[in-house]
Amino acid sequence: MAAAVLLAGAVALSAQDLDGKWWKNATLAERIGLSADQVNEIEKIFVRSRPDFIDLRADLEKKQFLLQQAMEDGTADRKDLERKMEAVENSRAELQKARQRMLLDIRQVMKPEQWQKLLQIRQEFRARVQQQRREMKQQEAPRPQPPHPKPHK
Amino acid sequence: MSKGNSSGREAHLTDADFFTLAMPPAGEPEALPRHLSECLACSRQFSEWRSATRELANEGMDSLRNRSAADWEAMEERTIEAIRRLRRPKPRLWRWAMAVAASLLLFALAVPLRHGRTSPHAPAAPAQTLSTQDQADDALLRDVARLARSEDENSRLYREIAPEPSAAEEDRL
Repeated sequence: MAAAVLLAGAVALSAQDLDGKWWKNATLAERIGLSADQVNEIEKIFVRSRPDFIDLRADLEKKQFLLQQAMEDGTADRKDLERKMEAVENSRAELQKARQRMLLDIRQVMKPEQWQKLLQIRQEFRARVQQQRREMKQQEAPRPQPPHPKPHK
Repeated sequence: MSKGNSSGREAHLTDADFFTLAMPPAGEPEALPRHLSECLACSRQFSEWRSATRELANEGMDSLRNRSAADWEAMEERTIEAIRRLRRPKPRLWRWAMAVAASLLLFALAVPLRHGRTSPHAPAAPAQTLSTQDQADDALLRDVARLARSEDENSRLYREIAPEPSAAEEDRL
C-alpha cells in the first residue's frame, strides 16, 4: 500500500508543475537529479527575474484591461482598437522574452542529461494526456446500434 | 532547438521545439512563431501541445470529476474494510504500519480533492509543502507562463472570434 501511495505521489506531477517553481518539487528534482546547489542556483536566477515578471505581468494585464474596455465600449474606432491590440501583444512578447531569458539561465545551470530528463518527463506527460483523451473520446462516442437480428432459417 | 527553425517552411518543429515553446529554455524566440505562422502542420501540432498542457492542468480534477457514484461507493467500502481490518487484533507492528499506510492514502486522496475545489487554475497539488513566499512565486510563474502562452481569458476570447484551424479540426475529431 505504501508503494502505491508513493507511486500516486510521483504520478501526481503534471505539466503544470513545470510552469511553476518545479525545482522546489522534491519529486521532480529527484527524478531529474538536481543537486541542492543547483536548486539554490536556479532559485537565485528566479529571484533576479521576479521584479521583471511582476512589472511585465502588471503591464500586460493593464493593457488587456484597456483593450477589453475599448472592445466592450463599442465607441472606439478600429485604429484605436488595433493600437491597443498591438500594445497587448507587444507587452505579451516582452513577458515571454523575460521568461525565456530566465529559462535560458536555468538551462545553463543544468547538465545536458538533466535537461534531457526534463524533456523526457514532459513527453511522458504528453503521452499520458493523449491516452486519456483517446479514452475519453471512446467513452463519449455513441455505441453503434447492433443490426436488427434476422430470423435464421 | 531544431536546426533552422527560422529558415522557413522546410524546417518543421520537433517535439523538443514544441516543448521549448511551452517552456522555452533557450533558442530563438522570434523565429519559432514565424515558422508557426507559415506552417499549418506545425501550427496544428503546437495547438495540440497547448491544449494538452491545458488538459494536464485539469487532469487531477478530471479524474475526480469523472468518478462515478459506484466508484465512490467502492472506495468507501474499501476504506471501511481497511478500518475494520485495523480493528482486528493483529501483531502490534503490522497494525502500526497499516495505520500509517491508511493515513498516507487518505492524505493522497484528500490533497487533490481540496485543490480541485478551490479553483480550476490552482496548482496541481505540489507533493511538498511550499513556504508562503514560494507559493506566491509559484503562482506568479504560472501566471507568467499562462499569459505568455496566450492562455488567458482575453486570448481565449480572440480565438473564439477567429478560431485557429486546429481548434476546428479538434472539434471535428
